[in-house]
Amino acid sequence: MPALRTSGLTKRFGDVTAVQDLNLTVEDGEVFGFLGPNGAGKSTTINVVLGFLDPTEGTATVLGHDVASESHRIRQRIGLLPEAFDVYENLTGREHVVSAIETKGARDDPDAIIDRVGLDSEDARRAAGGYSKGMQQRLALGIALVGDPDLLILDEPSSGLDPKGIKLLRRIVREEVERGATVFFSSHILGQVEKVCDRVGIMTDGEMVAVDTIENLREEIGAGAVVEATVDAVPDLETVRSIEGVREASAAGDVVRVTCTAPEAKMAALRRLDDAGTVRDLDVEDTSLEALFEKYTDGGTDDEIGDAADAPAATAPTEDDATAAAGGED
Amino acid sequence: MGIYTVARDDFRNARRSYIVLGVIGVFAGLMALIFFSEMTIYDEPYRTLFDAVAFVAFVFPLFLAPLCYLSIAGDRISGTITYVMGLPNRRWEYFAGKFLSRFGVAAAAVVLSTAVGFAISAATFVDFPDVERFLIFGGVSLLYALAFVSLFLAISAGAPSRSRAMFGALGAYFVLVLFWFGFLPFINLETALDTVADVPGITLSETTRTYIGFLSPATGYLQASKAVFAGVIDQYPAFQQFNTDDELYAELWFNAVVLLAWSAISLAVGYVSFERSELG
Repeated sequence: MPALRTSGLTKRFGDVTAVQDLNLTVEDGEVFGFLGPNGAGKSTTINVVLGFLDPTEGTATVLGHDVASESHRIRQRIGLLPEAFDVYENLTGREHVVSAIETKGARDDPDAIIDRVGLDSEDARRAAGGYSKGMQQRLALGIALVGDPDLLILDEPSSGLDPKGIKLLRRIVREEVERGATVFFSSHILGQVEKVCDRVGIMTDGEMVAVDTIENLREEIGAGAVVEATVDAVPDLETVRSIEGVREASAAGDVVRVTCTAPEAKMAALRRLDDAGTVRDLDVEDTSLEALFEKYTDGGTDDEIGDAADAPAATAPTEDDATAAAGGED
Repeated sequence: MGIYTVARDDFRNARRSYIVLGVIGVFAGLMALIFFSEMTIYDEPYRTLFDAVAFVAFVFPLFLAPLCYLSIAGDRISGTITYVMGLPNRRWEYFAGKFLSRFGVAAAAVVLSTAVGFAISAATFVDFPDVERFLIFGGVSLLYALAFVSLFLAISAGAPSRSRAMFGALGAYFVLVLFWFGFLPFINLETALDTVADVPGITLSETTRTYIGFLSPATGYLQASKAVFAGVIDQYPAFQQFNTDDELYAELWFNAVVLLAWSAISLAVGYVSFERSELG
């Protein structure tokens, strides 16, 4: 049984279509990255899943329960970190966690949860209305963890978190998956989901345009890493281009740029360069992720891809390719 | 579990914001002032209870409005509702929890101010206060608080914004208290009914008009409080305002039903609108 499944899910607000014919399946036990720019329809989808909004068309089930008729049972088994929410400003963080434990009928120790999400125990006894955004996010994460949920829905969980907090968030996501939970991780920043997600879905303008592993998506649009090497002498670039997995090689002064579509091509290209003359400096940019994201969310003109990837040599895939990628989700 | 947790959190949050202290403390303080200022004017505490009734009828809703008008609308505007409803709370549990919390505050204000009035009367008035009269006063005032808390909660449940919740609450106060009672010249129920009666083909008997007149929570409460003055109605000219007709509207149970109906209908309409509304 999938943890989350939507079928033909559509949500319209008057004339505005926020989510259009969404077919999505999140398998049990996976970490699914739900990506898209602000306003793409991610939060609307989540609000339908939570039973806050009624779907205009289509259906959605969570852990086998229908979102429209069994919302209470669903919310009993999920943990939610909402994007736009506010605390009871005069209740302490700890009181919020205690109420969540009570409402779920769980047996958690509130202090253990507070400690786990890195909220200072003194802060936890202060009114939550005075919390910084980062503290509030940690509190929300703690509330989401109450009752060992089968599905964690994290909507922009890293917003407001410092690097330490983001690292902690990733660790908790991994721990929860090891426990057996499914994690649905929504974000507008690809870099924050790539490290933890098994698969990602990219949503834009209310439609899911691609669902796959990051590796497959990267292959799909033919983007890879860019190796930038400063060399003594620029060799014949044809020898570099002939390496399998290298798409393009160019030189500007003593800097050679090699765009690789396959990970193993990077080292091969470097060897070729080092054979011809000493490599004095080296930089590897994994810019393809941003290119990938922008490709799917901006409609992907050549210029945008080029700018984002900082790799003018990269050939942007056509719109048909993107559609093919989107269609390949099954 | 859900109702209790929602009610406790809401109450705790309100208590620490001093709104609870404001409503209960200031209201009881004003009630104390009424009794202090009249202790040298009247010998009988029940005469001061008459002024207390008027104070409750016209002023108490103005305390209940700020207490209740944002109870649900405010949570929706700020997003606190996402925290509560993201947990396994049913919508009726949330609604009932909010109601219990806010009505609890209103009830505490009634109980405390009644007790304060009794204590001051016992200490300063020539006649010792009659416990039964104070209990009846407290009882009908609780019904009045129930009607208005329910009404303001319903308005809050249906209001999509702060301003609409505020205008809704003030509008309800204006229509049901000032307009219905006839506080303002020309803009009141009597002139409105006159206008209706002027329409050819419509006749309003005097009895029908009186029934309509007793259908607002404020007029219902004022008439219900006649029970406080049982046996002494002829003691003061002011008491002649109570209707003593041999009709249902002059009976306590009828007025009590009117107040309960305001509460029940408001809660039902408010809940249905909340249950159907989309959050987030």
